[in-house]
Amino acid sequence: MKVKTRSIITAGALAATVGLALVGCSSDNGDGGDGANNSTTALTVWVDAERVDALKDVAAAYKDKTGIEVKLVSKDTAKIKDDFLQQVPTGKGPDITMGAHDWLGELVTNGVVSPIELADKEGDFLEVAYAASTYEGKQYMLPYAVENIALLRNADLVPEAVGTFDEMIAAGTAAGVTPFVVQQGPESDPYHLYPFQTSFGAPVFSSDENGYDVSDLQIGNAGGIEYANWLAAQGAAGTINTEVTGDIAKEQFTTGQAAFWLTGPWNVGAALDAGINVAVDPIVTPGAEAAQPFAGVKGFFLSEQSKNKVAANDFLVNYLATEDVQTALFESGNVLPALASAADAASNDPIVGGFRLVGMDAVPMPASPAMGAVWQFWGIAEAAILNGADPAATWEKLAADVQGALDK
Amino acid sequence: MTDRVVQTSKRSKQAARIADAASGGIRMILLKIVLLGIVDAIAVYALFVLALSDEWLIASLVAVVTLVVNWIYFSKRKLPAKYLTPGVLFLIVFQIFVIGYTGYIGFTNYSTGHNSDKAQAIDALMSSARERVPDSPTYKVTIVENLEGLGMLVTAPDGEVSVGSSEHPLSSVRNATMDGDKAVAVDGYTSLSFQDVLQRQGDIVGLEVPFSDDPNDGSLRTPDGSSAYVYTSSLVYDEQAGTMTDASSGTVYSDTGTGAFTSSDGEELLPGWRITVGFDNFARAFTEDSIREPLINVTIWTIVFALLSVASTFFLGLFLAIVFNDKRMKGRKFYRIAMILPYAFPAFLSALVWAGMLSESFGFVNQVLLGGASIPWLTDPFLAKVSILFVNLWLGFPYMFLVATGALQSIPDDVVEAATVDGAKPWQVFRLIKMPLLLVTMAPILISSFAFNFNNFNLIYMLTGGGPRDAAASVNVGATDILISMVYKVAFTGQLRDYGLASAFTIIIFILVATISIVSFRQTKALEELN
Amino acid sequence: MTTVLSRTGEPITDKRPFSFGRWFGRTGWRHIVGVAMVLFSVLPLLYVLSSSLNPSGTLTGSNALFSAVGLDAYVRLVTDPTQPFMAWFGNTLLIASITAVATVFLGALAAYSFSRMRFTGRRFGLLTIVLVQMFPQLLAVVAIFLLMSSISDWFPAIGLNTHIGLIMVYMGGALGVNTYLMYGFFNTIPQDIDEAAKIDGAGHARIFFTIILRLVAPILAVVGLLSFIGTTNEFVVASILLIDPEKQTLAVGLYKLVSNPNYADWSAFSAGAVIAALPVMALFLFLQKYIVGGLTAGAVK
Repeated sequence: MKVKTRSIITAGALAATVGLALVGCSSDNGDGGDGANNSTTALTVWVDAERVDALKDVAAAYKDKTGIEVKLVSKDTAKIKDDFLQQVPTGKGPDITMGAHDWLGELVTNGVVSPIELADKEGDFLEVAYAASTYEGKQYMLPYAVENIALLRNADLVPEAVGTFDEMIAAGTAAGVTPFVVQQGPESDPYHLYPFQTSFGAPVFSSDENGYDVSDLQIGNAGGIEYANWLAAQGAAGTINTEVTGDIAKEQFTTGQAAFWLTGPWNVGAALDAGINVAVDPIVTPGAEAAQPFAGVKGFFLSEQSKNKVAANDFLVNYLATEDVQTALFESGNVLPALASAADAASNDPIVGGFRLVGMDAVPMPASPAMGAVWQFWGIAEAAILNGADPAATWEKLAADVQGALDK
Repeated sequence: MTDRVVQTSKRSKQAARIADAASGGIRMILLKIVLLGIVDAIAVYALFVLALSDEWLIASLVAVVTLVVNWIYFSKRKLPAKYLTPGVLFLIVFQIFVIGYTGYIGFTNYSTGHNSDKAQAIDALMSSARERVPDSPTYKVTIVENLEGLGMLVTAPDGEVSVGSSEHPLSSVRNATMDGDKAVAVDGYTSLSFQDVLQRQGDIVGLEVPFSDDPNDGSLRTPDGSSAYVYTSSLVYDEQAGTMTDASSGTVYSDTGTGAFTSSDGEELLPGWRITVGFDNFARAFTEDSIREPLINVTIWTIVFALLSVASTFFLGLFLAIVFNDKRMKGRKFYRIAMILPYAFPAFLSALVWAGMLSESFGFVNQVLLGGASIPWLTDPFLAKVSILFVNLWLGFPYMFLVATGALQSIPDDVVEAATVDGAKPWQVFRLIKMPLLLVTMAPILISSFAFNFNNFNLIYMLTGGGPRDAAASVNVGATDILISMVYKVAFTGQLRDYGLASAFTIIIFILVATISIVSFRQTKALEELN
Repeated sequence: MTTVLSRTGEPITDKRPFSFGRWFGRTGWRHIVGVAMVLFSVLPLLYVLSSSLNPSGTLTGSNALFSAVGLDAYVRLVTDPTQPFMAWFGNTLLIASITAVATVFLGALAAYSFSRMRFTGRRFGLLTIVLVQMFPQLLAVVAIFLLMSSISDWFPAIGLNTHIGLIMVYMGGALGVNTYLMYGFFNTIPQDIDEAAKIDGAGHARIFFTIILRLVAPILAVVGLLSFIGTTNEFVVASILLIDPEKQTLAVGLYKLVSNPNYADWSAFSAGAVIAALPVMALFLFLQKYIVGGLTAGAVK
């Protein structure tokens, strides 16, 4: 009997609680529903954490102009690409993401990016920026910055620019410090060594005006062997050392213990802050041909699944591709703008101008997924050569391994 | 023994006191009702929302779960379920589901080029296939609408104004209202403002206005609602037949069940889409060259690494727990907190710091501690393994220390005292009484720690990246690579990611670890009753 | 061993004159172990501290620790408007605390039933919860994102970009090896305590909440601490689920500072890690008395 009364009370109280809670929920729901209709169009844009600042003003100005809200989401740079690839197909991804041109192959193969129409503005961009933002003949990226490495010189130690690699070593040694540092690691760093490699006439793939021909691997040509021999000599002489990580190179140059540093614009600030008298020089050539560093072009991609493509296109083409915006982005990161007019203005700065000069020889890093096969073997072979492996044999094996992976 | 009895009765008295102090059953029941009421209210709300979006399967799942939960808590029995349900619900949704889904991916071709569903792949193919007619101009456009639907009011660069819609090719109009050199309105149509355009972006991006009666002339599309361009398409999709045709070569690509449009000679159009592929990935897991060759060495190292990691961290942690469990010792708080610190910092930061400290020519260990030695800590295959184990000891001992400290508390003083009174030496007490009791609590921890280290991808990745690698070998596997990091390298080389293959490997590794663990549980009798 | 010595030794020490040999034998050697372990534990962290104070911003480039000292990085971290550091800090504390408490609670409930009740599927259940966590997590984010994004479609309040959603995902791991740890501890509490309370008319819930939970305080504190630390340092799931910068946790926010190797701000990251370690230390100090207070001290004596 007692039990029964209890369960009845329980059931009644339960019903009451459910009722109350429901009332609470439903009123919430009503409010939400009314608000939704009045909402303005909002674009979600993923950006690198470092660029949020610059884009905040840009986004605010764009909203004033068009009424479209631009929601900036600062993302972990290392995860943007993977998250974009995973989230776009679910419809939860952003409308626009910031990224680098060498993602293009992967993004296009996965069908997550939409081509954009530059509205006859192709000519307004630096040549390398425009070339890098196309893939298989179509424009997919709105470029905003071009990065390449150049040779930083401590002008207090070595007052004059030098022409060749050997002259550089001699000048640095004469100054009584470590002549030259470049970021390496246990698996070397082919990106930073690429200008030396190209000066021996051994690019990764052959190229023509349409871009790279990934079916024509050039890395193992005669120039490549010559480069491998040169690399072995540098390893033996200690001028290029796999133990020198990015941190160590930075420490050496910024404390005045190294005379030359082959690095990108991202490190100039640290050197200037440390009080180094920095000059930006062309990359010295160990070989006969021009030293062509890789250019990395940063830009914005439009999601194929965006539900706001009109607004997104308008934002990209009619707004981000303007000189004011590109200049604002430049001022936040000190990286050369991709828009020629903004780049010209920015080049008045000797540092930026110096990098741009070196960048004239730069080639876009190949965006094809085939590069994965190259990276997989490239660094490990260079590291082995630097540490004393037989250069010609190692290099030939590199070419064979890459070819094998490409053929698979 | 008498001591123990006295204690127990003391305890039971205290228990009774506490039980009396806690107020009677009615408050408990009220609490239960309120909690269940909230759960039910949320469930009813959830059902309502799910029903509105026609998710009947999920809705019925929610309904069933809610009914079961109510039944469990109203029933006079089901005592264990009352305690297990909350945790188990979360476990099922956020762990079992995740495992199930990963397992499912192992049976699909989810990889670069097969990233989405078929409809999305078709959209993406069509949008990449669209080519602007070479040297064609930019047309200024105003989006207009009449009863038939959306249309474009187009101003050509030469000033000619025309209007068209998806059914009606462009035709010239006169009397359009001009704003500067752009036509903004025309009779018979309503012009859309920019805000209207934004509201209907989906329709406008899809709007295609044929340039003329001849389809080969292409059609106008506007990406931004204000300029339009003439496009032709290099691919033609036949919805009826489900085939893609290359407009220039005439090659027909059809869905042959491989997850991409495939031509008769096997050429695939990418992006494709995800399909299930049965056991293909599992077959590849055992036939892939880059796996087979190093597999045995990597497996041995993985097991050695996991075993030694567990053993070293456990013994150091236990030793320290005992050392600092002496109440007479001063400053224990300070020592303890210093030893917890390695655990309180993000492991990836610590791994990077260690990588720097172990650098051969510049590292702190060689330069400062060893006075300028040149020991290749991370570049010699054997020393790299030693370094990995050492750093993992540093990272892992605080956990074992904490756990062992906690477990030490579970040993009742009276047991130890009884043994001591019976004349046992301290070492005997430890070996015969404390250790077995500790192992009961710790054995599962050790086994799961083994499993964790078996898959300790982050440590390997951050400290050595699997290296040093033998440049003479043609596979991308290094001396310190464990199974999971090898899988990562094989499935995610460069820009080619094969989630399907990686998932298949994940399942294989899981089965391996689970088997080892179950056997260990049997061996240690960790599942047997203590009392 | 240690307790025994203390019991029999303590009264005598007070009366005898100080002897180094005896002191060393009892606690002195422990200090040597302690100092050695402190050096071992702290040395690499000095790098982190040094880097957080060094304006030049490399993590391991220099062996000259503390060559330059300044609080720039801390100031930069706290004041930079693009990095809502204080919000990250608050979010982390909130999420980690709730997760820790809930984990302890759910885990203790389960451990209690496994320890005190006999039911079919008990062994299977025990084995399952620990095996489930052995699944390699490499690809888990794909599934978790998918799951949370569908939840978002229907219930945005607990889906993506919400703290509740993240905590729910963490709750999925509440039953795990920690439950085992508690289970082992529960087993060492004599059953006769339950029996006595039952005779006095206490129901199972009251026995659990008012008696058992107090007796197992050390293990609850350990599990709570482990869960708190684990949640504080968790990165992968949090970075996928939390989208708005002001909703993110410390781990997610700080990683962004260094995720681009070219622009990595190691000083600020190290400063953030140092600050993030403070709550963990505070919590440990606070819980220490429960962890090592001893089983019986809290309940009977």
